[in-house]
Amino acid sequence: MRYVDEFRNPELGRVLAGEIVNLVEPGRHYKLMEVCGGHTHSIYKFGIDDLLPENVELVHGPGCPVCVIPMGRVDDGIAMAHQPNVIFTCFGDMMRIPGSDGSLLDAKANGADIRMVYSPLDALRIAKQNPDRDVVFFAIGFETTAPSTALTLKRARVEGVTNFFCMCNHVTIVPPLRALLDSPDLRLDGFIGPGHVSTVVGARPFEFIPADYEKPIVVAGFEPLDVLQAVHMILGQLAEDRCEVENQYTRVVPYEGNLRALEVLSEVFELRPHFEWRGLGFISQSGLRISEAYADFDAERRYEVPGVRVADPKACQCGEVLKGVIKPFECKVFGTACTPERPIGTCMVSSEGACAAYYNYGRFAREREVV
Amino acid sequence: MRPTADLALACEPEHGCITCGDEAVALRVLRVDDERGLALCEDAAGERTTIEIALIDPVEPGDGLLAHAGTAIAAIESAPVGVEPEAVT
Repeated sequence: MRYVDEFRNPELGRVLAGEIVNLVEPGRHYKLMEVCGGHTHSIYKFGIDDLLPENVELVHGPGCPVCVIPMGRVDDGIAMAHQPNVIFTCFGDMMRIPGSDGSLLDAKANGADIRMVYSPLDALRIAKQNPDRDVVFFAIGFETTAPSTALTLKRARVEGVTNFFCMCNHVTIVPPLRALLDSPDLRLDGFIGPGHVSTVVGARPFEFIPADYEKPIVVAGFEPLDVLQAVHMILGQLAEDRCEVENQYTRVVPYEGNLRALEVLSEVFELRPHFEWRGLGFISQSGLRISEAYADFDAERRYEVPGVRVADPKACQCGEVLKGVIKPFECKVFGTACTPERPIGTCMVSSEGACAAYYNYGRFAREREVV
Repeated sequence: MRPTADLALACEPEHGCITCGDEAVALRVLRVDDERGLALCEDAAGERTTIEIALIDPVEPGDGLLAHAGTAIAAIESAPVGVEPEAVT
């Protein structure tokens, strides 16, 4: 398949892996964080970590949208879904994220009208098909997904749809990265930057990482050669004692991002003073809410929700996994009480969650099991 | 069989959701509805979907788009090979 095959060439992969070996300093341990869950998925799907020298460790970041949703927000969504006359819509993985008393899928089984959609446009279509019902869309995701929600709200206004509402849980990528860099738990040497978020925000917002923290970051694509090349570029910077923002994913990511998307985001959303992240706690100005100009579409203004902060189950260590402090298999319930079929924590739900990636690709221990 | 993530357009709990996963899909434009700002697109597996194109216009049949959550977020040089745009009516 064009556009994919050239980035999965095994010969080139072996050449890159060889060059990476030549770049690392023996005796030095390198800890690189891939921010985005999509990279985590690629790394285990293609066995990229097996191609790296032992002293290059990849740790997994907080860039899986459903993984960082706190339980309290799930409970708020379920409360909204149980309101009379509401059709509640959300993306697929979100339905399985556990709240304090079950998931949206459980609420659906208990009679709530909850429907899975692929895009906010699908939710708007449902609203137009059901003019006598309120349709609430549970919006999640980073800057990759937020423009889609924003454009749908603009479309709803233009088309005069008055029964469409959005419960906004969109988050932004820079504040959690800063929180991680400020965390004493974690000492990182560099970042593989999120490719698809960067198609919208560009590479420029990551300039604070080399400027304030003197760490390299390379925005990367999701094919195996993309990830390997990003590792090569980070290690190259470290070998040359450089730290800067580099863009490996130039075929898709403009340095300045998609200016039209950024304009739409600033029209429809505004920053929340604080937003809670699973595992990371409250982070200032890290979440989006519907702006005053679009208040008519804000589900949180239309419906009362509990708004209660709910602590994660004691057994669940998603927080440590999301911060890259522990590997998924080091969690006490990984693969036993917590599996993709019966998840306890969010990281086991989404295919991009670090725990699900480890589980699905058979990484149950530090050493790879040979069958 | 579990579909490969880059070909699975459906948001199904048992397969994992590409939207929740922040994944983008490469698509080829088949037909453009300028008035509504939408395009009918096709992925490499032949799956068709309607995509919001407000962030990328002008878009023409045959163009490659990277789409996420029903919205084109970037233009790409190489569109997935599928049905010729002219064949779509």
